Amino acid sequence: MSSHSPATPLGSLQPLGVGILGAGPVTQAIHLPSLARLRNILEVRHIMDVDAAVAESVAARVGAKHSTSMDALLGDPDVDIVAICSPHQFHADQVIAACRARKKAVLCEKPFAMSGEEAARISAVSAETGVPIIVGAMHTFDPGWLAAEANWGDLPETAHTIRSSIVLPPNARFEDFATEIITRPASGTPDYRDVEVVKNALRGGIMGLAIHDLPLVRRFTPDFEDLEVLQARHVRPFGYVISLRAGERIIELRAAMNKTWKPEWTFEAISDDSALRVDFTPSYVQAGSAVATITRGTTSTTYGPYEHNGYEGEWRELAQLALGTKQPPAAESLINDLTFAIAIADATVDVAAAEYANSHAGAHS
Amino acid sequence: MSAQYTVTATPQAEENGAVELAVASLPVSFGPASEASATAGDAAQISAIDGAAGWTTEAIKAIDGGASGIVVVNPVPESTAALLDAAEASGVAIILDQRWASNPGLAGAEDPVRSVAGRAAMLDSVATAAAGSDPERLLTEHLAAVVRVTGQLDALQVLRRGTHGYTVSGRLANGAPVSLQGVLSNSRPAGVDFRLYTDDGGVSIAVPEPLAAWPAEVRATGPQGEILLPTLYESAHRATWRRLKEHLDAGTLPSDLTAFARLTESIAHLY
Repeated sequence: MSSHSPATPLGSLQPLGVGILGAGPVTQAIHLPSLARLRNILEVRHIMDVDAAVAESVAARVGAKHSTSMDALLGDPDVDIVAICSPHQFHADQVIAACRARKKAVLCEKPFAMSGEEAARISAVSAETGVPIIVGAMHTFDPGWLAAEANWGDLPETAHTIRSSIVLPPNARFEDFATEIITRPASGTPDYRDVEVVKNALRGGIMGLAIHDLPLVRRFTPDFEDLEVLQARHVRPFGYVISLRAGERIIELRAAMNKTWKPEWTFEAISDDSALRVDFTPSYVQAGSAVATITRGTTSTTYGPYEHNGYEGEWRELAQLALGTKQPPAAESLINDLTFAIAIADATVDVAAAEYANSHAGAHS
Repeated sequence: MSAQYTVTATPQAEENGAVELAVASLPVSFGPASEASATAGDAAQISAIDGAAGWTTEAIKAIDGGASGIVVVNPVPESTAALLDAAEASGVAIILDQRWASNPGLAGAEDPVRSVAGRAAMLDSVATAAAGSDPERLLTEHLAAVVRVTGQLDALQVLRRGTHGYTVSGRLANGAPVSLQGVLSNSRPAGVDFRLYTDDGGVSIAVPEPLAAWPAEVRATGPQGEILLPTLYESAHRATWRRLKEHLDAGTLPSDLTAFARLTESIAHLY
C-alpha cells in the first residue's frame, strides 16, 4: 500500500528472504513451486505452521528454518517478505504484525480481512509503517490479464455485462500435479437440508472462490456500491448461481466445483461494440498465463499465453515492491475490493436464505 | 423417386429464412413455383411464411389456399390451437424454422442431456444477439433451443430484462438451478451457449447462427474424457426443409406446433 525504500534493480542483489505463515496445501502446492521458479530473486528462509511436524517437513523441502510461532518468523532478520497463508480469520492481525515488524513487503492471501473495519485497520498500519501490502488475487497479476488491461481501451466504461464462470475439479487433483502434499484439511458431508449450511456454503463460495475474480469484476463496475442481488442460489456440492445489478451493469457469477477433470475458468466483460474474454489456467499447476481475447466488432485480438501465471506474477511484484522498484497498489483499491466482496456475500446469503425458505414452503404445501 | 414440391415464400420469409438458398440445396425435393404455374392460378405446394405476429392466421390462409406443407420462419409466441386443428383436418405438414432450435445438431444432443439430467447440478445458458435486437424475441428463440434438449423447465422467472439483455431463472426437474442469460452485443458471436454440469462432467452445446452451415458443437464430458458428437454442417434452415420433405414423403404430421404451444405457454407465464 505504500513505498519506503530507494529503487534497486530486480535480480542485481542477493535474493530477498521469504517467510511464510501457514504451510498448508496453498503454500505447498502454489507458493513453493512458484518461488522455485524465482530462485534468483527470492529465497524461502522461514516456514511457520502451528503444526510443528508440518512446519519442519515443508521447511525441509526448501532448506528453510521452521517454527510454530508467528513472532519467531517475524523476528527472523533473514525474512524480508512475509506471505500470510493462514486461515482467513488470522489474516488481519498477521498482516498488521508483519507491518509492525517492518518487513519489506507483505503478501496476504485473499481475503485479506473479513470486515471493512479490519481492512481500514490494515490500511492505517500500512500507511504508518510504510510497508507495502498486496493481496493474493492472483488473476490481477496474470500476464494475460495485464495484457488485456493495457489494451481494453474504454471497455470498463462501456461494458454492460460482466460474467465470471468457474468450473473446477477438487483442489486435490491439481495439488497433486503440483507437488507432494502433506496434511490436507478434513472435509465433511454437509447437510444441505439445513439453511445455515447452505448460507455458509454460499458465503464460503463468495469469500473463497468468487473472490478470486471479484477484483476483476470491480474493474468493470464503477457503481459497485449500488448493488442489488437478483438471484443467489447454491449449486451442489459446491458452487453458486448469482446475478447482480451494480449501477447499470449486470454481473453474472457462476461456479461449480465437483468431480470433473475439466477446468473452465473464464471472465467476460461485454459492451455493445467490444468484448473481453479471459480464459484462466487452473490454480496450483504451472500452466502459464491466461489467454485474453479482445473483440471489437468482428475483429479479435488475442494476448497470451505467456510463460508464467498470476501466482508467479504476484511474487515478482512483491520482489519489486520490496526493492522499491515499483509502487504498491492504492490502499483504497484493496479496501474497495474487499468491501465489494463482503457486500456481495452478505446480500447473497440473505437472498439465498429467503429463497431456501420459499422453496421449502412450496415443497411442503 | 419421390416428387418435387413447388415452393413460394413471402419476402419476409425469404429474408429471414434464406428460403431460396435452402431450396436450392435440396434441388430434387423442392423447386420454385414457376411463373407459368402462378399465372395459371396453380397454387404452390409449399408456402414459406414469416413468423411475425399473426403468422398462425397466415398459415391458415395458406392451408385454405391448398398448400400441402408450410414452413414458418422464426415464429413469435401466439396461440396455435386453431392452426393445429386446421392442419390436422387438412393433413397439412407445418414445420417451424427456428433460429437455433432447428439446428440439426440438437437432435443428437437430446440423448446425452437427458441421460445425465437426473444428476444435473446446474444449467447455465447464454444467448447472444446483435445490439439493438428485441430481447423478448431473443428469449423466445433461446428458450426454444434449451427446452428442445432439456424438456420443460420449472419455475421460470424473469429476473431482469432491458436493452442489454435478460436473466431468467428456473429449475430442472431434479431441482438444479437453471440460468438463461441474454446478451445483446455486436462483439460476441450470435448463438446459444448451453452448459449442463453434473457431479463429474456434463454436456456443453454451442449453437451457431443459421446464416451458414456452421455446425453445432455438442460435447459430452465424463470421467473417461470428452466426446465431440459428429458435427453436422447443415444450417437450421436447410434442416427444416429436409425434415419437411421427410414428413411429406411419409405422410406424417410433425409435432412442431404442439411443442411450440408449450413454449408459448411458458413465455406467457414469464410476462
